[in-house]
Amino acid sequence: MRNNATVIHSTVAAAAFALTFAAGASAQSVTVASWGGSYQAAQSKALFMPVAAAMGITINEETYKGIGQVRTRVAANAVPWDIISTGSGGGARACVEEILIPLDYNLIDVSNFVADTHLPCCVGSDVFATVMAWNTDTYGDNGPQSWADFWDVQKFPGTRSIRGKMHGMLEPALMADGVAPRDVYRVLDSEAGIKRALDKIRELKPHVAVWWSSGAQHAQLMKDGEVDMTTGWNGRFDVAKADGAKVAYTYNQGLQDYDCFGIPKGAPNAGLAMQVIAEMSKAEFQVNLPKYITYGPTNAEVYQTGQVDESVARQLPSHPSNARKLLPVSQEWYAKWEKIGSEMYQDMITE
Amino acid sequence: MQRIDALPIHIRAVTKTYGAVYALDGVDLEVRSGEFLTLLGPSGSGKTTLLMVLAGFTRPDAGSLKFGDAEVIRMPPHRREVGMVFQNYALFPHLDVAANIGFPLKLRGIDKNDIHARVESALATVQLQGFGDRRIHQLSGGQKQRVALARAIIFEPRILLMDEPLSALDKKLREHMQIELRRLHEQLGMTTVYVTHDQREALTMSDRIAVINHGRLIQLDDPRAIYDHPADPFVANFIGESVLLPVEIIDGKPCYRGRPLQVAAGHARDDKTTPGALLMLRPERLVFMDDARADAAAYNRFDGVVGHAVYQGENFVTYITLDDGHEVAVRSVSRKQSLAAAPPPGSTVTLGLHRDETALIPGHTAAAGNNNNDAETNRGHKP
Amino acid sequence: MTAAAMDINAAALRRDERREKLALFSLCAPASLLVLVIIVAPVGWLFWLSLFNDAGVMSLDNYTRMFESKSYTRIFITTFQVSFLTTALCVLLGYPLAYFLAQLPRRWAALGMLAVLLPFWTSLLVRTYAWLVVLQRKGLVNQWGMELGLWEAPLRLAHNLNGTLIGMAHIMLPFLVLPLYGAMKAIDFDYMKAAANLGANPVSAFRHVFLPLSLPGLFAGIIIVFVLCLGFFVTPAVLGGGKVIMVSMKIETLVDLFFNFGTASALGVVLLGLTLLVLFAAHKLLQLDRVLGGGHGGNP
Ligand SMILES: Nc1ncnc2c1ncn2[C@@H]1O[C@H](COP(=O)(O)OP(=O)(O)OP(=O)(O)O)[C@@H](O)[C@H]1O
Ligand SMILES: [Mg+2]
Repeated sequence: MRNNATVIHSTVAAAAFALTFAAGASAQSVTVASWGGSYQAAQSKALFMPVAAAMGITINEETYKGIGQVRTRVAANAVPWDIISTGSGGGARACVEEILIPLDYNLIDVSNFVADTHLPCCVGSDVFATVMAWNTDTYGDNGPQSWADFWDVQKFPGTRSIRGKMHGMLEPALMADGVAPRDVYRVLDSEAGIKRALDKIRELKPHVAVWWSSGAQHAQLMKDGEVDMTTGWNGRFDVAKADGAKVAYTYNQGLQDYDCFGIPKGAPNAGLAMQVIAEMSKAEFQVNLPKYITYGPTNAEVYQTGQVDESVARQLPSHPSNARKLLPVSQEWYAKWEKIGSEMYQDMITE
Repeated sequence: MQRIDALPIHIRAVTKTYGAVYALDGVDLEVRSGEFLTLLGPSGSGKTTLLMVLAGFTRPDAGSLKFGDAEVIRMPPHRREVGMVFQNYALFPHLDVAANIGFPLKLRGIDKNDIHARVESALATVQLQGFGDRRIHQLSGGQKQRVALARAIIFEPRILLMDEPLSALDKKLREHMQIELRRLHEQLGMTTVYVTHDQREALTMSDRIAVINHGRLIQLDDPRAIYDHPADPFVANFIGESVLLPVEIIDGKPCYRGRPLQVAAGHARDDKTTPGALLMLRPERLVFMDDARADAAAYNRFDGVVGHAVYQGENFVTYITLDDGHEVAVRSVSRKQSLAAAPPPGSTVTLGLHRDETALIPGHTAAAGNNNNDAETNRGHKP
Repeated sequence: MTAAAMDINAAALRRDERREKLALFSLCAPASLLVLVIIVAPVGWLFWLSLFNDAGVMSLDNYTRMFESKSYTRIFITTFQVSFLTTALCVLLGYPLAYFLAQLPRRWAALGMLAVLLPFWTSLLVRTYAWLVVLQRKGLVNQWGMELGLWEAPLRLAHNLNGTLIGMAHIMLPFLVLPLYGAMKAIDFDYMKAAANLGANPVSAFRHVFLPLSLPGLFAGIIIVFVLCLGFFVTPAVLGGGKVIMVSMKIETLVDLFFNFGTASALGVVLLGLTLLVLFAAHKLLQLDRVLGGGHGGNP
């Protein structure tokens, strides 16, 4: 109720403002596009509404389907959004394609950010991890503790789900094949290395019941008990668990990744958007995020504020105790190998 | 094609209702072996229904149907071996002419070459040689009709049914096909039941005519008897034109306006003297009386006043109002003398009807044909 | 009659005829224009795009890649396999259904038709997810089947080809039933009577008369379903468990993830070509013009 009231207040304020200074009205609002679902709901409550209130502006929210849509709008020179929330991979590609404009890091302070969580055009908004999750009805608390376990269908009989795209799948395969986390991207830096990872996935293929394509899907798979084990994004599993799903996961050998905010080329209110992003990157707002979703803040300062409950903080992927177990995703590797790797991955699935 | 062994048809007490409507109301009918019998009646009288019962497409409520000695009332249509020509021909549009005609033979597992030979011969019978590989939509109405006929007779059914097969054709073609159908019937000789509501067609083609009304058989007779001695006012009015005059019985003799009528011996019906009998006046049977005639005494006389006259080409018709107010027509052949001798409008004339052509008919509609008296049980008129 | 007398008004009459034909043609001009704008132009554009490789240089790279990479061939095979099987399933289910509906009295048939069309009233996505709920490992079918002791381990009905086929057949069924029902309704019942009268028992009357007469409707339905299946996306994406990858899904990945319009266009062009090829083969094999023309065409 209180949050709704805030929205109404700020809307009323903006409307009143618009009536008096019709021409300047649009400068006082920005439009944010994100992916919807429990993720956007959390963003809205933790970041958009408090920042709008603090700045005295209106933040309109929309949902969109991803970088492809932004690309089309930019090409058509009709960009309806000022800020988009995207994955780090999409952000990196969009930057290369010049769909997103470079961010002003004099304005946006990233000095306390977790390592590897910002790009020239996209600044990290939250940290998440690609982890292994299991059905607690099937395995109790003794789920897999490493990718080798995930691959071991003798020790852990049952069905698996893994991603239908290469992203975040080749690294676990190599770890399952005995490559140490720190060597993963070095080994993957050749077609032979990619092939080694794919061969490992081929081993698991007969047990893969579903190749998932979205976070909503892998959460639903666990909720429905459709598979016994899956890879996926940690926050989604926490939400599913809160919703009654029999699911648990571990950060062991997980992949650290992040979502980020960027400004599309041709955004109507780019200047204000830059200020909004700068605000949202501050610890005082990021500290809200863990209340709504178990994605960690990118601004490590949050952990020093003492405002996040220790028990909550320990669940977050960017908490030092978890970050240690995670392998940060290498955007350089993806920039270099994404296309080739994707084709090879598709070959493997369709075999 | 060969002459076919015909079969008689025995229809007994066949009744079919649709809700409260009696489409067939206890029909009894014997169709003789090899005869050409026509079902004649107004629209909705039950002709099609009776034909459908014969073919097996309509299941009657009750009754018996025999082809020869075999009871067939419960036999499914495909086992009845009855040829049928549908009103719309029902030629299969996906097959060519030869395949349509050969269809019944193919079903009977007959050898391909045999089928070919018999189809050719059937095409010759209906005078359509060389039309075998035409498609149905490439045929004219008359050609379709002949293909339908060929298909209905090729498997040599001993009974042939036709439901108004000529109704879709123009007058010229219709008359031509009437002659063809007769010829074919004489050549093949199967028992034929033919449906029409064209009285002229019925009179020209049939050995016998069964007049049907309201699902009942009214009269079964040869065409002349039907025309000259209708069994009741309905038949008299339905076939040909007629005016019916009331007849009184005085001293056991039929009289019109107190004047005794001369009725030819042997032609009169048994019940001619029963009260309510009617005198039938047909336009072509009436003459303007000329007392100079040698046989003037043999004519019954009717006085009246001349109204208007209508010239019809081969005939002209004069309308006369009789003394009692009935208007009758007199049809005369258009020849110079008779036209010149025609009485002018407004003049009084005497009409004559020869006693040999004087027919009395029972005055109530319930009577049936003379072959059919036992059919008339005590059934009341149905709603 | 003299030649001059025969020529009276001939030129004027010919002109009239030409004018009438022109008028007729102008009637279909808006439709032709529409086709040009919404079909020919985009397809041409697609074709144009497909001729440029990643570097933006004109080449046939996009096409050669399709022949070199096994996964593209497999995706095409899957696409045609799924379309073929779905169509077959629709025929198997749809023909008896349409036949049954065509026999019903009008009022009941209308009700039955309504039931067939009901799926059109709900969103495709909703129906597809509903199937997921019904078919998955702990879904309704498996729960009931196992409770009744019909089978012991859960059947794999969703997240594979089975699920895709079930879902797609359900969605495509009306497209088969509608034209088929229309064709069946148009069959004069007198044809069946005539067949019976000529000695055909119900089975052979069906085989020799009803079936061939219903074929135009059946083929129309088959073609609609098959072609729609070829470009289908949602159902295989949701019910295929990521294993059933069809061309449309590949195009989506290419455009959405890699902004690769060249390869995506090439895929579209090849799919279009193969579809036309299939239609052409069907046309040759079945003489569709005659069948679809309802027997009113010219000489065979
Ligand atoms: N299927 C049916 N349902 C209800 N009533 C019917 C049906 N078929 C026929 N009837 C009725 O039965 C009666 C006889 O119909 P039938 O078709 O035998 O007439 P008909 O003599 O062939 O007429 P027509 O000369 O117009 O063809 C009519 O009153 C008709 O309305
Ligand atoms: Mg009739």
